[in-house]
Amino acid sequence: MSKLGQVVESVETYNQFVLDQVKRARSDEKFGRDLLGRWNDIKAKIPTTRAPTGLPLPRLALPEIDEPGEIARFLLGEGLPGEFPFLNGAYREMYLEPVREVESFEKDGETKKSKTDKKIPQAEEPTRLFSGLMLAEDTNERFHYLTRHQRTHRLSTAFDGPTLYGIDSDADGVFGKIGEGGVAIDTVEDMVRLYDGFDLGSANFSASMTISGPAPIIMAMYIAAAKRRFGPSVVPKLRGTIQADIFKEVQAQNETIFPIEPSLRFLTDMVEFTTREMPRWYPISISGYHIGEAGSTPVQQAAYTLSNGFAYAEMFAARGIPVDQFGPRLSFFLDCGLDVEYIALARVSRRIWAIGMRDVFGAGPKAQLYKLHTQTSGRSLIAAEFKNNLTRTAAELILAYMNATNSCHSNSADEPFTTPSEEWIRLAAHGQAILLEESGIFKHTMNMLSGSPGMKAVERAVEAAILEEFREIERLGGVLAAVEDRYQRSQIQNASHRYEQQINDGVRPIIGLNRYRNGSDDMPEVKLARTPRKKQQLQVERLAKFKKKNADKSKRALDKLAAAVESGKNCFPELLEAVEVCSLGQITGRLQEVVGRFRPMV
Amino acid sequence: MASPIRILTAVPICDGHDSAINTINLEFIRHGIEVVYLGYHRSVGDIVRAAIQEDVRAIGISSYNGGHIEFFAEVVALLREKGAADIKVFGGGGGTITHEDAAMMRRKGVDEIFFAGTSLDEMVKFVHQRYGKPRAKRARAKSSDIELAHKLTEIEDKKKIRNSKFGIRNSCKTRVIGFTGPGGAGKTTLIDELVLRFLNKDRQSRVAILSHDPSVIGEGALLGDRATMINSQNDRVFMRSMATRGQAGGLSPATHDCLALLARSGFDYVIIETVGTGQEAMPFQKNGIVDQTVLVMNPDYGSRLQLQKIVMLDLADIVVVNKSDLQRARTAHTEIEQRLEQNRRAQCLIDTVAKRHRDSGVDKLFGLISTSDKSKRGKERKSHEQARTGR
Repeated sequence: MSKLGQVVESVETYNQFVLDQVKRARSDEKFGRDLLGRWNDIKAKIPTTRAPTGLPLPRLALPEIDEPGEIARFLLGEGLPGEFPFLNGAYREMYLEPVREVESFEKDGETKKSKTDKKIPQAEEPTRLFSGLMLAEDTNERFHYLTRHQRTHRLSTAFDGPTLYGIDSDADGVFGKIGEGGVAIDTVEDMVRLYDGFDLGSANFSASMTISGPAPIIMAMYIAAAKRRFGPSVVPKLRGTIQADIFKEVQAQNETIFPIEPSLRFLTDMVEFTTREMPRWYPISISGYHIGEAGSTPVQQAAYTLSNGFAYAEMFAARGIPVDQFGPRLSFFLDCGLDVEYIALARVSRRIWAIGMRDVFGAGPKAQLYKLHTQTSGRSLIAAEFKNNLTRTAAELILAYMNATNSCHSNSADEPFTTPSEEWIRLAAHGQAILLEESGIFKHTMNMLSGSPGMKAVERAVEAAILEEFREIERLGGVLAAVEDRYQRSQIQNASHRYEQQINDGVRPIIGLNRYRNGSDDMPEVKLARTPRKKQQLQVERLAKFKKKNADKSKRALDKLAAAVESGKNCFPELLEAVEVCSLGQITGRLQEVVGRFRPMV
Repeated sequence: MASPIRILTAVPICDGHDSAINTINLEFIRHGIEVVYLGYHRSVGDIVRAAIQEDVRAIGISSYNGGHIEFFAEVVALLREKGAADIKVFGGGGGTITHEDAAMMRRKGVDEIFFAGTSLDEMVKFVHQRYGKPRAKRARAKSSDIELAHKLTEIEDKKKIRNSKFGIRNSCKTRVIGFTGPGGAGKTTLIDELVLRFLNKDRQSRVAILSHDPSVIGEGALLGDRATMINSQNDRVFMRSMATRGQAGGLSPATHDCLALLARSGFDYVIIETVGTGQEAMPFQKNGIVDQTVLVMNPDYGSRLQLQKIVMLDLADIVVVNKSDLQRARTAHTEIEQRLEQNRRAQCLIDTVAKRHRDSGVDKLFGLISTSDKSKRGKERKSHEQARTGR
């Protein structure tokens, strides 16, 4: 049985354990009494806070139960926020504003500014902004614009097509794609320009890079760029995330450049390095987002993301990296659309991950956490009457925060057309601020919307469906075998086809498209961010200069890299050397000579 | 009845958004269109070369990653430069292509751009109306590849029956190798890996590939082999994808004549790949159709008894057990080896893992089929014929 089969068993065993404990709480008087005592204790310790209107509210909402069996079902089956199995949240408190104390409202209910400044530790600001356009200096400028009012600088970077496919800006036929949809990065010099002016070693800075196929090379460039600016001592201080999710590329997004096995080997080489040398770095973001965007059902998205995660865990453990070292450095990324499953998709995922990591991989508490970044669904946004996309995104944001996501990105309404423009990016960010800061839905009480009968019904149905998917993958021989067999890929394509068919047939209502259509087919005026030809030309010239300057050195570095790859040892140190003098495309090309190219699955 | 419309579809370089095109492809083939699907992340050069070799009526490009104005324009320009301006270009990109972009693209020679919200029906109707009329008389071909492509179309559309005129016999330098076997055994991947070795062996030789995919009953066909062939997109490779158009047995009614033409066209190697075949199939039985036959098997063929029923095990010169990294492969090798011993002729059995880069089994197979040793070849053919008369 593969680890995934064991995960299924562990979840079933755990569910049975919860049922047994519920029974025991009802039959074993002492056990029941203890539970009730603990429950009352928990309730007594919950602070009271106040809405701006003066309404008193508990800081943590709990189900109204006082019977030991139900208490056991809640505490063990769901867990308090921040407690195993983490159904209600990875942390005790999230999104909450500082407690407003009772005294603040004493005189005629008028708010006095005081006493509320006691900082409640919050994980971090949950808002993320995604950007990447044209050349490195243009994206850099955008980064500075976006972060000018923020205390912490969390930069999420999108790369252009050539970079995502590991080829250079001077490659045949890519002119026109340079700097489109993301930033063009060919060399370590571009990487230096990209984050210029930001303090990469600061605790208030983190970089997130959305790239998978050539991730180890880009990671090496980032490290090299940081060293150029701050010296070698900056390396252990670097914070951030690189996507590096090969499985989802093969299953959904099609940005794979090496065959699966060497891709996974390069990834593991990188993870081994970062786990040891960069303890604050997240070397992989296990992503369901692109699976969802490619058209999967929500259950498929959650199931493939989790099973991919367990497969990575198995792989890293096999390399000899301790689970309590790599486990806390894994993070997840989910799509949040409008289907009903999204009411509880991430909640259920968090619970399955915790149980599997603890009971199958022997992970400690920090390695059990399913740390989640959510993005609202780009696929749900459409071009027709595109301003409706604001409403779609708003509804998705509520769903995402109901699932206690650790961070969230809200899409811009103009996303169906182009890389979002400044106006719509600002509105998207404000959407989150309105929800979290202006509205009272999430800022006063933890668990405000958790645990409704409907949510529980969705949880049960979604968990059962995810486990069934796991069983199917297990029958196919585990995740890698199923991937090579195109199982997930064909399931996703099938779901996507059905979705389009439903829209076409009108059984899936899309407002403004197949229902309440305006009649006019006019495309709204959207200011497009296109990379001018002159800039593209500049990138090509810079690259030529870099290649010329390093012509001799690059050949030696590539030979050394190729030899390291052939030898089978961890080749990340050689990659770190190579990026100093070689371009992305030079490195990719040489590696492909050694390990081959990815053969597309259709 | 008019011949089906052939079009080529692809997603541009640095773009992996294949969800829309997959859906559109299926809709096209359900409505009688033959679609040569080139896959995603494809360069202008690859697209134009394939369109010329396949002699399609039009190219449909699905672009979601930007740069579409340049990309579409480059495709049109390269078609013109190569003398293939009769191949038209259309496409779409959801909301990423604006009306202004589309106007500019039309000015640069693109026939039509579909916007977000266009129904599948509209696209099918467009292809039928725009590309369904018989071709006008064609101008003299500007290159030998275009001339060859045009002739293959004439044969396939039965404008010229060449069956009686030409025997298949090729010039002595051309070597014709037939690949057959059940669907999913990995024939296409294996051929593509062999092509890589052909291309690396010397710097001049040219390879032709005649690949087959089944037609949907009474409808179109998805000719998708090119999408997974990463090494065969090369100027030294001429590839043609054919739909079976109602014929059973793994080949098309026009295969024999098309192959005869390819065999006389100066290639060093001509590879023919059948559709996935059943146990009773013997696709290369027409006299002299190939020099050498390769049966590609999957280790999962079922019980040992099944092997007795596979006719090609008697006829193939080389039997390949692909996917030999699967658990079942060792058993398969032993059972097939015993099965071949009954035939008492010099058949070769090779294990390969075609998906693996630089696989030693594929190297061995390449050594066997690329040999220029004529005496050996003659002997092989002789034993082949003996086997046939023996039946």
